[in-house]
Amino acid sequence: MKVPPRKKDLIDIRSLSREEVEYLLESAKPFKELFSQSVKKVPTLQGKSVLTLFYEPSTRTRSSFEIAAKRLSADVTNFAVSTSAVVKGESILDTVDTLQAMRVDYVIVRHQASGVPGLIARHTRASVLNAGDGWHAHPTQALLDAFTLREVHPETAGRRVLIVGDLQHSRVARSTSRIFHMLGAEVAALGPGTLVPSHRPEWLRTFSNFEAAFAWRPDVIYLLRVQRERQHDQFFPSVHEYHHQYGVTAERLNRIRGEGIHIMHPGPVNRGVELVDAVMDYERTLINRQVENGIAVRMAVLYWLKPGTEERHG
Amino acid sequence: MAEPSITWIQGATVVDSEGSREADVLFCDGKVRAVGAVGAMGDVPEGAAVVDGRGRILMPGLFDMNAHLREPGREDKEDMATGSAAAVQGGVTGLLAMPNTDPPVDSAGMVQSVTDLAAAKSPIPIFPAGCLTKSRAGAEMAAIGEMACLGVKLLTDDPSPVEDAQLLRRLMEYARGFDLIVASHATTPALVRGGSVNEGEVGYFLGLGGMPSMAEEIAIFRDVAIARHTGCRLHIQHVSSARGLEVIRRAKEEGIPVTCEATPLHLIFDDSAVCGYDTRFKMDPPLRAVEDREALLEGLRDGTVDVIASNHAPHSVFEKNTDFASAPFGASLFDTLLPALHHHVLAEGGLSLEILVEKFCLAPRRLLGLPEPGFREEAAVDAVLFNPADGTEVSQTFLKSRGCNNPFLGQTLQGRVEGVWLGEKRLLG
Repeated sequence: MKVPPRKKDLIDIRSLSREEVEYLLESAKPFKELFSQSVKKVPTLQGKSVLTLFYEPSTRTRSSFEIAAKRLSADVTNFAVSTSAVVKGESILDTVDTLQAMRVDYVIVRHQASGVPGLIARHTRASVLNAGDGWHAHPTQALLDAFTLREVHPETAGRRVLIVGDLQHSRVARSTSRIFHMLGAEVAALGPGTLVPSHRPEWLRTFSNFEAAFAWRPDVIYLLRVQRERQHDQFFPSVHEYHHQYGVTAERLNRIRGEGIHIMHPGPVNRGVELVDAVMDYERTLINRQVENGIAVRMAVLYWLKPGTEERHG
Repeated sequence: MAEPSITWIQGATVVDSEGSREADVLFCDGKVRAVGAVGAMGDVPEGAAVVDGRGRILMPGLFDMNAHLREPGREDKEDMATGSAAAVQGGVTGLLAMPNTDPPVDSAGMVQSVTDLAAAKSPIPIFPAGCLTKSRAGAEMAAIGEMACLGVKLLTDDPSPVEDAQLLRRLMEYARGFDLIVASHATTPALVRGGSVNEGEVGYFLGLGGMPSMAEEIAIFRDVAIARHTGCRLHIQHVSSARGLEVIRRAKEEGIPVTCEATPLHLIFDDSAVCGYDTRFKMDPPLRAVEDREALLEGLRDGTVDVIASNHAPHSVFEKNTDFASAPFGASLFDTLLPALHHHVLAEGGLSLEILVEKFCLAPRRLLGLPEPGFREEAAVDAVLFNPADGTEVSQTFLKSRGCNNPFLGQTLQGRVEGVWLGEKRLLG
């Protein structure tokens, strides 16, 4: 497969072409095959340094990136960002100066404010991988979701994906809906009116209840994580009501099973809110597979990106 | 060397309230001595400075009735000297300073202090606006009568609205007795809390909290109703939305004493300018949709928008060079006012030069009860010579403002301010 010109950073899905997405999904396959070998490591990034910079707590994503980098033989360092103090904006670029001095090759950034990975990318020669910023983007999540969808539906065009939950405050929803759309799938949203943005891409159709959404005959239901604190901001009356209106209840699981619909979720799940326990044992639940694929996809991204050579960008 | 007391500007296109015409203009000892047909005034008087005006526009200086000068309190962002120098090179010969300094201008003492600072540091007149409420806290009336006695003409809590409608009603009833203008940063705080961009598709893609235009529309509706009830003069600052403007249009038709202004940036850009998270384009009210921008231009043409005002808001590098949501609102604009409007609005046919002169030179002065400058005999000299054929390279060294946040930095704008005259002095060129 032809390798598209390598980029310095991965900030969002919008800045990737279809060709680049196809390449990344294809090149993740051999990395995944590697996982079933006894030696899971390749020497590709030997001598390179990868630094994780997480301003927002995360166990899964951080570990996934760390494993991906280590399987490529890179040296990985976790930069301990103070989580006790509220990290002020002005210190971001000071931190970047520090990284610059450390001469790391790849920086993996998660930040609660939209746009920060891009800001860092413009100020460092290292490759910046966005591991989630604010409500903006989570491109490696989108890639792993697309990879997972392709595994169960090799022909993505025309497939129907229903995204359920809080799309307003979700970077996953923004990135994943975009990559599915890019790959020709039809994407729809279901959620309370307060959490489905009134300004959204025209290709994103919406449903206001599960009944109407089921009638659309989705192939995949993608559940978003509910931030429990949203109920205190008056986005919905209670978690209990949310579960009954927008969660996968036992009755809905029966219907899902009957229609052979797959279930995806970016994790970690809130049992009893987005879904009932039984969903975790349903044979078409892809949640654990998403986690495994995340490592392969992140390896593919690290492998493809190319750190800059200039001292400074922008 | 002392400036020659006679200046002869030859062959410029002269624009003022009389319209535009080709003329020779003679300044003498701070007054317009003669205006005549090109070449009809005879020989050059001895000692006169001759200025080639051919291909240039000679117009009254801009009057900017919405400027944040930061002094006292935040001189690291701007002071009266840097602010006025930047304003002059943008074509401004007078301005109204917003009272949100530290401490805020909410008493006679503060008005006097700002007036003294301006007299000492600025070559152009700077008029202080006063706060509506003490410390701009929105709870108690500021010393309105005392400030009016010192010549204050306009009151505002900008960039905050007065949230309490009863207090705003009282303020307007009281201010009416002094014939003051109550100016409003019209927004509904609960609807914009946590927001940093226009609520729209751009805001969705960027994952930033939105500031819906209905926040402005609702506030204007409320303010206009209170103006109707109290009869107080109301001025809506930096209106940004088509729907907000529509409320003003209907109020004017009804005869309510309301005026409004638009900023150059809202005439030039829409919210797509924010796509790269460039914090120079973060402002309050935010840049809105294309239709809103077009409605503001239409409002200037049909008379609904009375005034263009900059809302110049300089900030320091460390504040603006951060993530979008954390950065403060505002753009630094003084240095590039005329070239930016010429390049992006006039040259593209958005507005005529005559409308620009009316909205940015004459109307604001009329509103504040100041004499109208013009090129008629015995008028005080207040003039800008603008060359539309030349360019302005907006580099860091060009900028005189301390604000790092000029949206045109790095660009070359079509048009250049070549000369600024005020009274007996030539301030630029």
